[in-house]
Amino acid sequence: MKITVKCFSQVKYALETDELSLELNPGQTTADVEERVRQRAGKKLDGVLLRIAVNRIYVKEPRDLEDGDEVAFIPPVQGG
Amino acid sequence: MKMGMKWPLFHQSRADKVVLTEIVPAPIVPFPSDNTRREEGAELVFNGRVRGTEQGQDILALEYEHYEGMAEQELQSLADETMAKFLIQDLFCRHRVGRITIGEASLHVAIWSQHRKEGLQAMTYFIRELKERVPIWKWAILVSGERVPSECVHRD
Repeated sequence: MKITVKCFSQVKYALETDELSLELNPGQTTADVEERVRQRAGKKLDGVLLRIAVNRIYVKEPRDLEDGDEVAFIPPVQGG
Repeated sequence: MKMGMKWPLFHQSRADKVVLTEIVPAPIVPFPSDNTRREEGAELVFNGRVRGTEQGQDILALEYEHYEGMAEQELQSLADETMAKFLIQDLFCRHRVGRITIGEASLHVAIWSQHRKEGLQAMTYFIRELKERVPIWKWAILVSGERVPSECVHRD
C-alpha cells in the first residue's frame, strides 16, 4: 500500500522535499513511518519532537495506516 | 427601560455568538471596531507583528507556512473551544501566511465580551493554544537571502 508524507518546517528542511510517497506493508504504523523519516533525515531531526497527524487530525498513539493515508510529522508549531 | 418597551438597539441581548477564523495569504484587513454594541463592555484587539530579529539574528522578513486544510480546522476548533470555555460574545481571528515583512501583522484577533476579565482570559488562552497546536511555522529570511526554519522560542 502507498501513503503520502507531508513535510513542513524542520522536516521539509531536513528531507529537502515537501512530500514523500512511501510503500508500506499491511500492518505498518505511524511509528514505522516516523522511523523511516528520521533515518532519511540523518541526524537533522535528532532532538526534534514530532507530533503526528493522520489525514489532518492529530493522533496520540501509533496507528495502523491504510492505503492512501496522508501522514504529517508536525514539528513544534510557531503561529502567531 | 419600561416593561413592554421595544429595545431599539441592534446588539441588545444577542444570544447568537459569532466565531470567524480565516487564514489569509495577503495583508490582514483588521476587523472594524464596533460602536453599536450595547452589551459588550470589552472589545479586545490583538495584533501580532513581525520583529526584525529571530534568535538574535537580523532578518528581512518571515515566511509563514501552514498545513493547508489542517491549520484551518485546528484554528476553527480552537476558536469554538475558546467560546465554550469563556464567557465571551464573539471571537474573530485572521492569521496571515506567506512572506510578511518586518512590522506587518501576522495575526489579528478581536474578542468582544461583557466584561474585560473574561475577554482578557479568552485572548490569552486563544493565542497561547494557537502557538501550541495550529500547524503554522515560520521561516526566517536572513539578510543573506537564505531561508531557514525559525527556531524562535515562544514566551508566555
